[in-house]
Parts: sequence; structure tokens; C-alpha cells
Amino acid sequence: MNENPYFPNLALITSIRDEVGGDRAIKTFQTRFVNGNNFTFKSGQCAMLSVFGKGEAMISISNSPFTKDFLQFSILKSGRVTSALHNMENGSIIGVRGPYGNSFPMEKWKGRNLIFIGGGIGLAPLWSVLKTALVNKKDYGDLMLIYGARTSKDIVFKDELYDLRSEMTVHLSIDKDESGWNEFVGFVPENVKSKVSWPQNSIAIICGPPIMIKFVISTLAELGFEDEQIYTTVENKMKCGIGKCGRCSIGEHYVCTEGPVYSWAELKKLPQEY
Amino acid sequence: MEVVIQRDSFPQLLEKLNRYNIWLPRKNGDYWEFKLSRGKESLDKKYTNTKLSPKKFVLPQTETLFQITEGENGKFNIDEKQKKDSLDIVFGIRPCDGVALSHLDKVFLNSFKDPYYSKKRDNTVFIGLACETPPFENCSCTTMGESPFSTKGLDILLKDIGDRYIVEYITDKGKKLFSGFPNLFGKITTKDKESLEKIKKESNKKIKKRVEDLSETTKKLDIMFDSDLWFHESQSCINCGICTYLCPSCHCFDINDEQLSKKPLNVKRVRTWDNCQFPIFTMHSSGHNPRPDKQSRYRRRIYHKFSYFYKTEGEHLCTGCGRCSNYCPAGINIFETLQKVAEYE
Repeated sequence: MNENPYFPNLALITSIRDEVGGDRAIKTFQTRFVNGNNFTFKSGQCAMLSVFGKGEAMISISNSPFTKDFLQFSILKSGRVTSALHNMENGSIIGVRGPYGNSFPMEKWKGRNLIFIGGGIGLAPLWSVLKTALVNKKDYGDLMLIYGARTSKDIVFKDELYDLRSEMTVHLSIDKDESGWNEFVGFVPENVKSKVSWPQNSIAIICGPPIMIKFVISTLAELGFEDEQIYTTVENKMKCGIGKCGRCSIGEHYVCTEGPVYSWAELKKLPQEY
Repeated sequence: MEVVIQRDSFPQLLEKLNRYNIWLPRKNGDYWEFKLSRGKESLDKKYTNTKLSPKKFVLPQTETLFQITEGENGKFNIDEKQKKDSLDIVFGIRPCDGVALSHLDKVFLNSFKDPYYSKKRDNTVFIGLACETPPFENCSCTTMGESPFSTKGLDILLKDIGDRYIVEYITDKGKKLFSGFPNLFGKITTKDKESLEKIKKESNKKIKKRVEDLSETTKKLDIMFDSDLWFHESQSCINCGICTYLCPSCHCFDINDEQLSKKPLNVKRVRTWDNCQFPIFTMHSSGHNPRPDKQSRYRRRIYHKFSYFYKTEGEHLCTGCGRCSNYCPAGINIFETLQKVAEYE
């Protein structure tokens, strides 16, 4: 690895999969470094992706660290860089630097039930930790995923979610009813309320839009979850990834170095600026 | 270690150093700025302090980090060589701005060492000039626990005692710079020391200390986050960002690509100063903004300087130089905010 922390390693896009179409399109990219092995990382960490000529964007790594032959990123077309990524093809070269940030304390969670709660593109960072938990399934209690999207068309990882049902409980939701939809209709916090009944010995891991995170946290608190049982990831805007450029700050924390993973016990002590 | 140099010998000193890039404060209209020396010059007696702080020598307003070029078969080359290897010598750094350099060191030379900052820091000699009289009405280094004779962040400090300067070497780099010309420097006498003490005392007295015990005062920030003070203090702000651009300690930056040609692709990745007072600074691409209004951004600026940085680095991220308050077009004065914090109950 280059000693210059701003130096992007050249990476080849080896696979692109359409997840969601339309204005809020989502694609899943797999990459591998042009020179040498991919870096090692932990679930929850992020990488800074470069589209040369367009700039950089911080994206969470969505595969499990146990999968070593590629790095996977599921990306919502949203700003300048992510739009440019959506225009790229298999075999295109991008820049990747990282990994950045802390990770989910999976060692600490051993023996606990894990409830993954995601909304929209928030399933991407959850996917890495969920897949890692599945590899070490015997270390944990019951596993459950509660995932919601705006419409059935906005659901990511559709095929994998289908397969996932053979390994763990999966509850899906969409915001408004559609014909042929047999699962929950409503927002994610409401689905959490209707499906979660056992705070004892459980850990809830939330990822999604900031507003969803806030409501899910209060729902879990009502259900009797302690602050230490709730984890989330904070995805503020980032530029440097190394705690200098200033914009991802929450209080004295820089999300890029001290985050993005926080327990609610930690996060509630910081100013609510995320 | 201290020696003295006659004021008359100063142009000779500059001549001896002429193989380096020498920067001196020079007046441009109604403000001072650092300019390359024209040769045999003296430090202007009327010099106050520069409008733009010397942070540009280590953190330029715009700098290229590297250049990315597309070669054949879609291959890319990234050229990260830093071109500049020559030594810059900057005269006339006011002690407050030296303190700011020590702040920037804490940010850029920590566990993730910034190679661009680090190289410029190594290749620049900062020569301070103590203030025998405060350059501006809003100067208040003493509020920050510093003094007009502080040596932090500097390599050499010059102290004007009339017809001569007392030269204090602070770093080896500074000492080495002048070591080649011993004839220009003399020993410091008891009389010199006496005049210095007198000047120091006078100078300290002339500076208005705006808050008696800043560390005690800023402890109050822990309970003031939801105070309506931030709303009132920020109402006149026009989000122009001059406070942070002129601030010698503010260091937030942006990184962007500048496309020089499309085919073959040729791109400069550029770092520029950025500004926490701009709404777009923290705005997500979704439109969500963690600090969406003036009050949260102004509060961020005050808390970063007097609470967060103090908690993590043990220092206030403010030198008391007064630039933000001198030049704010809306008349916002950081010291007045601090006084209101001090009076908060």
C-alpha cells in the first residue's frame, strides 16, 4: 500500500448488477485491485471510491470480510460521483482507498440474538455484518432481518433475500400497499414494533436514512431495549477519510475515524448532528 | 539560545539568504501580505499583521495532490511527486500565527500524517516577530493563554528592541539557518535583556484580555448546546465564510477533481480550503443536512474551537489574532460571543 493516505489504488470493476431502476437506481459493483490483493477490512468499514475526473465518494463495503476475492459496493445513484459510477461498465478502472472507520463489535455480540433493521440502501452496510454473522452462525442466537423499502421495486438484493429465508427470519415491508404484496405495509419502525418482542439478550443493528434510524431507536427503547443493545451506522458526508477535512464531524468525533459504527449509548452523548 | 542582530544588518542577512525564497510582509493598499523579497530590505516598522494568515505556506488555498493520466489500453498513471523541494523562509510571523501552526501540526502530523503538509512544514522556516504593540484593536492572544512573545510553532523569534533585534532560536532548523554567518550576530547584553523585559511588560499590558479564565468559561459550553445564544449570535451571519478563510487555525478542506482533458483523461486532484459556515459543507447528496441552519453552523465553529479541540488536543483552536472579527462584514465578534458564554447562567 502507498504511504500517501490520499492515494487511490487502481481497481477493476469485475461485475455490475442492477438492483433497482428509475430515478433512485441502485447498482451493486464488485472490484478487485489491479496491483495485488484487496485490502483486508472488517464489517462496518467503508472505502473511498474515485471516478477519475469526477471525484470521490465514501461507500460502505457490503460483502463479508470472509469473501476475499472482491470488494462489493451497493450504490444509490445520488450525487456527482455515484451517478458517474452508474455510467461505468465491467472492466472500467476506478480508484479505491481505505478501509476507513471502526467496525461492528461482533466479538462482543457472541451468544446474543441479532436483529438487523434496514431501510432502502441501508441494507448495504448491514449486508456485510449479516453475512459475517451467518458464517459464524453457531456463535450467535436467533438472527432476524427487518427490511423496508419505499416500493417493492426499491428492494435491493432481491434474490439473496429470498435465499436468506432458509437461514434466518426475514420480514420485509413497503411504504404503501401494492397488489400481490403479502408482507407488511408501513414504515420500518412500525414493522419493528409488530415483529420484535424479545429485547432480552438481543442486539439491534440499524442502518438506513437518518430519520428512520431516529424513529427505530425510539421504537426499540419503547420495546425495552437498553441503549447498549442498539447499534447504528452514521453516514455523514466525507472527503478525506482520515479525520482532517472536518465535514463528517459530530461533536469531537470524526465519523470517518471514530465511526461509522456507534452504539446508541455512545451516539446519544454526542450532539445530534447527523 | 539568544543572540542579537543590528537592525541595519538585516538587509545583509537577507542577501546572505538569497538562494532561498524569502517572504516578507509588504503593504498592499490597506492591508499587509507576505510577498517575495526584492533583495536588500528591512522589516517595515509600521507592519501590523497580514490579512491572510501564513497558513497558506503549509496549507495552500489550492494545491494539487496528484495528477491522474490515462495511458494506452485504459491504463491509468497517478503522478504524486511533489515538485517543490526548495526552502521557503518567512519573516514577520506574529506569535499568534505561530501558535496556529502548532495547532495545524496537531491536525496534520498526527497518526494519519499528511504528506503534503509535512513536506511543506519541513521546507519552510517560520521566523516570528514579537509584538511590542498589538497590531489590531481586536488582538487578544492573552485570552487564549498566549502572549505577544509566544514561540510556539516558530523556528526563530525576533524581538525588536529599537535599533536591534534579539534573535531567539527555537528549533534546530532555525539555528542552522543563521549559523553560516556569525559575523552578523552579537552576544546579548544585560542592557538588551533589560530593554526586552520592559517592552514585554508594556506589550502585555496593552493587550485587552477579553475573558479572564477561558478554560473555566468554555466548560459552560457543555451545558449550552441548546441555548438560544447561538440563534441570536448567528442572525447577522451572511454565510460568506471569511472568518474561516482568514483564520490561521481553521483547516477544513475539500478535495475535488479538475479535468484538464477528457480524451485521454487527464485529471488533477485538488485540495482547497473549505468552510464549515457554508450549508453545502455537510449536506448529504440526498439533501439531508446535519447542520442545516446558521445557528448550528456558528455553534459548530465556536464548539470546535473552544470545546471539541480542547477536549481532544488540550488547546483552544483560536489564537486570538482577531482576523475573523476585524473582517466580518456582518460585525460578528468572536470575543463578544465568548464574553456572552462567560456571562451565561
